[in-house]
Amino acid sequence: MGGGQWPVVLIITPLIGAALTPILARRRPQIAGYWALFVFSIVTLAAGVLMYRVSTQGPFSYYMGGWRPPLGIELRFDEFSASIGVICLIGWLSLMFSLAYAKHALPERRIPYYFALVLLCLGGMNGFAVTGDIFNLFVFLEILSLSGYALVAITGERIAELAAFKYLVMGAISSLSILLAVGFMYALTGTLNMTDLAMRLRDVEPFPVAVAVGALTLGFSVKAALLPLHIWLPDAHSIAPSPVSAILSGLVVKIGVLGMLRMYQILYKAQIFDLSALNTTLMWLGAISIVLGALFAMVQEDIKMMLAYSTISNIGYIFMGLGLASKYGIIGASVHIFNHALIKATLFLGAGALIHQTGYRNLEDLRGVGKAMPITSAAIAIGAISIVGIPPTAGFLCKWYIALGAIEAGRLFFAVTLLFGALFIFVYYIRMLNAFYFMPPAHPEILDVGEAPVTMLIPIVVLAMLCLLMGIFGRIPLSFIEPAVTNMLAPIGG
Amino acid sequence: MRALWTNIDYVASVILFLIGLYAIMVKGNLIKKLMGLNIMETAVFAFVMSAGIVTDGDAPIMGAGAKPPFANPLPQGLILTGIVVALSTSALALSLIIRIYRQYGTIESDDLWGVE
Repeated sequence: MGGGQWPVVLIITPLIGAALTPILARRRPQIAGYWALFVFSIVTLAAGVLMYRVSTQGPFSYYMGGWRPPLGIELRFDEFSASIGVICLIGWLSLMFSLAYAKHALPERRIPYYFALVLLCLGGMNGFAVTGDIFNLFVFLEILSLSGYALVAITGERIAELAAFKYLVMGAISSLSILLAVGFMYALTGTLNMTDLAMRLRDVEPFPVAVAVGALTLGFSVKAALLPLHIWLPDAHSIAPSPVSAILSGLVVKIGVLGMLRMYQILYKAQIFDLSALNTTLMWLGAISIVLGALFAMVQEDIKMMLAYSTISNIGYIFMGLGLASKYGIIGASVHIFNHALIKATLFLGAGALIHQTGYRNLEDLRGVGKAMPITSAAIAIGAISIVGIPPTAGFLCKWYIALGAIEAGRLFFAVTLLFGALFIFVYYIRMLNAFYFMPPAHPEILDVGEAPVTMLIPIVVLAMLCLLMGIFGRIPLSFIEPAVTNMLAPIGG
Repeated sequence: MRALWTNIDYVASVILFLIGLYAIMVKGNLIKKLMGLNIMETAVFAFVMSAGIVTDGDAPIMGAGAKPPFANPLPQGLILTGIVVALSTSALALSLIIRIYRQYGTIESDDLWGVE
């Protein structure tokens, strides 16, 4: 099976690389970044090969150690696993951004640990995306969450440890509820393999399955920061080092959504009970997240805090799309996973560059920075336009699809909420751009700072370009997602 | 009532789980919150373990003298992994608490609200 082992490379390489980082960089902490970048380049290469293969040949599986399920552990690479594309892209660019950033923002002895943790987190995410076994799902979720908690605390600034502790407690409760659901599913069906599970769930009693589904939903919505469960997010995402914020906000919260998609895949196949109660709940929570997230973002002064609340609002869009349960709604939600990851990474890395160069975090202090750092500010402006969803940028496409989905499901109210949400989001990004470009500087010396070092600038520019291009070449993510969603919604045996 | 009695192990897990949740939500001391988390973890572990119990089951080790029925080894394997995860979570949480204490001189969340 030529090249069948590539999914293993995705998982094993970053984990081994992470374990070796502190050893290799013991004497010269500065080489840690280059080592991490090298390791992750291999992973990105593997991801490219796998994505090419899934787009030409369709989904395929790899059995660990040659043991076939239900005994062995299956790594399954399907269209949803193609999300490793965006994981690797943003991971690689954030690592590149970190090279210069870490030198400045972290004590020297912590630099190797920083890169090791980033690699662990990215490796965990890759594993989460490709595994076909629900217990493995839990294990990878823990790998990425634990490294995430540590990364939030790593700067040791102001309230970093407190934010990390809050994140840890919420995260641990959600992980427990996922583990509980895994235990339930196993007790009910005697299998942990996802495909097998979908088959066997049809013959069991619906009530305990509903409990397990509830526990899974709870767990994944904490990880994804759906509104009443979002309280950990703003502090954690704003206090973390900026490249880490990009990873956490762009990718880690999406892992929760990806988990939901996996659960839906199983449930749609098993068809044991009506999902409309769950869907309605998610839809409403999504709508509330959109509006409240945007309102909270409007009143923030700290630029990274604003971006963090904006993430909550955008997660609302994704959950609303999922809850609509119509084909276009789910397609829109899945595309938004990709596009919001790109946009939010642009914004957070851009904000990181601004903070790195000027030393200010508040909008008021950052006035006039548009003249001092034109390239970064332009990239942030592109990100902002994109997240509002003005055509032809990346954000337009997914919001369009979600709105279509709302109309398709006959829920006009939600289409209206979506438009209002976009309006609110527009307001606070206008506020940000206004401060950058049109207000007189609060600190005149801000006009003397230059652009960030080139290794920080390249990732920002590349991501901003992608935000524009993904709007025009939106068919690329769609070509992966459309068959996956059609497959997911198709009744089994049909 | 009878159903509750026959599933006494599940009931015990649920009660433990709720005790843990109560501690996390109500207690102000960060260490107590962490203890609550550990109680919750134990409850989930006990629940999954008891799902794998086979009455009069033997340890599933093949070889001379092995005779069925065997206990199901998979939940035990899962929970062993779960315990490792719980251990690392606790270790990380404890080190965060130490750092919080060094920085602010308190680990009562009521006092910590002020510093944010």
